[in-house]
Parts: sequence; structure tokens; C-alpha cells
Amino acid sequence: MKGSLLAHALGALARRKARSIALGGGLAFAVALVAAVLFLTESLRAEAERARDAHPDIVVQKLVGGRPTTIPASERAKLGDIPSVREVTPRVWGYIFLPALQGNVTVVGAPRGAAPISVANGVLHSGRDLSPGAHEMIAGVDLAHFLGMLPGDELGLPSADPRAHAMKLVGTFKSSLDLWTADVILCDEDDARALLGLPEGDATDIAVTLANPAEARVVAATIVERLPGARVIERDLLERVYHLSYGRRAGLVLGASIPAILALLVLAWDRASGVGGDERREIAILKAVGWSTGDVLWAKLLESILVGALATALGLLLGYAWVFWLGAPGLRPALVGWSVLYPRASLTPVVDVAQLLGVTVAVLGPFVLLSVVPAWRAATADPLESMRS
Amino acid sequence: MNDARARAIGLMLLAAPALVIGVLTVDARSRRAARRAEEPALALVAARLPTSDLALSGGARWLRAASLEEPGAAFADGPALPDPDPAGGAMAPPVEVWSVAAERSLPPRREGDAPKR
Repeated sequence: MKGSLLAHALGALARRKARSIALGGGLAFAVALVAAVLFLTESLRAEAERARDAHPDIVVQKLVGGRPTTIPASERAKLGDIPSVREVTPRVWGYIFLPALQGNVTVVGAPRGAAPISVANGVLHSGRDLSPGAHEMIAGVDLAHFLGMLPGDELGLPSADPRAHAMKLVGTFKSSLDLWTADVILCDEDDARALLGLPEGDATDIAVTLANPAEARVVAATIVERLPGARVIERDLLERVYHLSYGRRAGLVLGASIPAILALLVLAWDRASGVGGDERREIAILKAVGWSTGDVLWAKLLESILVGALATALGLLLGYAWVFWLGAPGLRPALVGWSVLYPRASLTPVVDVAQLLGVTVAVLGPFVLLSVVPAWRAATADPLESMRS
Repeated sequence: MNDARARAIGLMLLAAPALVIGVLTVDARSRRAARRAEEPALALVAARLPTSDLALSGGARWLRAASLEEPGAAFADGPALPDPDPAGGAMAPPVEVWSVAAERSLPPRREGDAPKR
């Protein structure tokens, strides 16, 4: 009997095509929007987490007047003998505004002794690694493109420091690493120091690697004791930063979408709860030919379930396709931000069965429950009264 | 459309969410696997970068490396956008600040006027 009711429900939906499409379309759009925001946020958070292990356990900055400033590299001597500290590395990096781009690039002095990078190990799109002291640089592939440079070309970056030297582009980062390297210019530490105008013996910050990362809290406290006024950033805090950062953005986008989603749901509710004259007559005839109230109730509920299931499936598919197949046009700038050197690398989905099921149940459950009242009203209507009206 | 066909289509529609969840899970899994193949390259390049933060806000230098920069930066992704600090603009300044500002905006008192409360 349930199979026949299902067939009847489908036929009823087909007879009221416009109403079914309005209802299902509105719901599918709302599901797609919410799902896309969730997919994108989770994906960004996961991308940010992926490189976290390469981050130093502790970063030490110097504050003057509450703002970060350069730190004497000699301060490393005060940190080297702290128990559990394995390596203390002063780092040279900073930002340069490029008028040609109307944007900032991140200039990074390559740390000495870092593992070599090449096309073969998947880091570089083209070219080779830096040769120390040769005034060379590696840039993001988009950045090089924006600057109209190919490997072998030379560029003098703007700097007030007379030590700054024109640098030769010897390689570009692979575009799949764009999320981390889109705005990066990697060069020799001396070149970076000259470009950024950092005095000899100063560093942007000091990276501390620990033998046992679990002791970061204790080591951080010791560093603060030895370098009063320093700002000590532990790697564990990064997770919190990412959650706050992307969670806030997702909240803003969803918050801005609430009126649109509510309007759609109100419209859908209005369409679902209103029983038209044709529908009333149809129910009356069904009851007159022997359908019980339960049968009519089931048929009406099945109509809602069919619309809800199809709309939820369509919404999930649209949301996923929007973010991961099309690159989230329209949504990505709102959620991710924007800049001249915008990373174009595609995002990796982190959604699993549980999350997708969660979204489905969260949408389909309330939708079907809300359909019970109009279904009950339609099912209990007096057939004679309905036919007369 | 006969009853059996309608029933089959109806069942397919009911199963649509499960079908879509299955397809999306398989696609997500294959994309994750492809991404995992790039992990060694990412580890190599990340070791040379100052931070693992994503290069999403290159235009706003205070946010390029959100985990290392000053938390109370002037701008987030652009002018007039909320501050990255979670306490940002959602929290009102202390009442005293308002009262002082109100005092300043009052016309100057003349000699003999009663003090205003």
C-alpha cells in the first residue's frame, strides 16, 4: 500500500509542478548556501592546519610600545641553554609594498641548512633552488606572472636600503602550493635583510624548536623570564587562531544570509501549508472512494518527504560543486578575503559521511516535521464540505 | 506514467540524499588522497616560510600571518571590515569613555552656573 501511496504522492507533485519546483528550489538553494559555507570553512581550516607541523614550536618577537619590532639576533644566546630547546634560529622576513601590484609581497630570507627544493620534489613549478650569495629569488608562480617575469629575469624590488641588490628569478613555486606561497619571494637571508632594511645583527623574530613540544608552555615561561617584554607565540595557539578566524568569517557570511534563508523558508512554509482548491477536491474524492485519514496523511507526508529529499540532495550537490568543482565563485571572496595576489589553488574537501548526514538530517527532519500539520489538516477535512466549497 | 514506474522513481528520489552523500564522500576521499601526495612538498616549503598561515590576505599586511602579527590590527581583510580580534567591534567601549565624551561636547559653563550632573 505504501508503494502505491508513494506513486500517488509523486503523481500529485507532478500535477502541481510549479508549486513543487518553488518549494524544492527554495529549499535546495538554502541548503546549498549553508552547505557551501560549511564546506569552505572546514576546508580552509584544514588547509591552515596542514602546514602547522612545519611551524616552529615557539616564536619569539620583541615588542616596543606594544607593537612587534625587530629583535637582536644575539638574544638567541639567552635561549639556547633552556632545557628541551633543540634549535634557536633568528629569522629574517617581512613585507614590501610593490606599487606595480598595489599590494604587499612577503619577502622571506631562506634559512641556512634548509632541505633543498626542486621541481623533482614537487615544490617548484619551474627553475631551481637558490644559490647562496648569488642574489637570486624564487617567487610564487602568480606573482612572477603579475610581474611579467620568467626564470632568468632580474628584478630590483623597491627598497630604501642601498644594500638592496637586483635579484634574478631562478624558480617559481608550484601553483598547488599557492595557498602558502602566492605572495612569497624567497631569497638569500642577506638579500632579504637588505630589501627589508633590517640592520645587521637584527632579526624579524626568533624561531625555537623543542626536543619535546609538550614542554612548550614551560619553555615559553622561561623565555619570558629571560627576555622581559618579548612576545612568545606557541604553536598550540595556532589552532585557536584558525578556528577563531575562519569560524568568525563563516559566522558573518551565514549571518548575512539569514534574512535570505528565512525569506525562502517562509515562502516554502507558505506554499507547503496552503491547500488549494484543486488539492482539497482531490483529497475529498480520495476519501469518498475509501481512502482513510491515515492514507491521506501518509500521501501528503510522502509528498513533503519527496520534495525535501530531492531538495536536500540537490542542495548538497550544488554546495559541493560550487565550492570544490567550480572554486566557490562569489562565495570565496566573501569568506576567504581577497588581495591582488589571490591564491587560486583548489581547496581540498574534508567533509565525511557523518557531516553530510548531519546536514541532511538537520534539513530534512524539521522540514518533514513542519509538514505534518498541513498534512493532518488536509487529511481530516470533511470530504462533503470540501467538495461543496 | 504507470504505478510501478512512478513507485520506482519515487524510491529513487527518496534515496537521492544517500546517493549524493555516497558520491560526494567518494569524490572528497579521492581529492584528499591526491592532496596527501603533495604533503612532502608542502613540508619542504613550509620549513622555509615564517608561518604556516595561508596567503589569503596579502594586501593587508597585518593579517598575512595572522598567528604572528599583532592581534589588534586596524583592518581585517579590508577597510571597515570587522577586526580579527574576537572582541572587535561587537563589544562597546566602557561607559566612562562615553560620559567623558559627552562632558566634552557640552557648552562651557559660565560663572555662577550650577554644576551639571
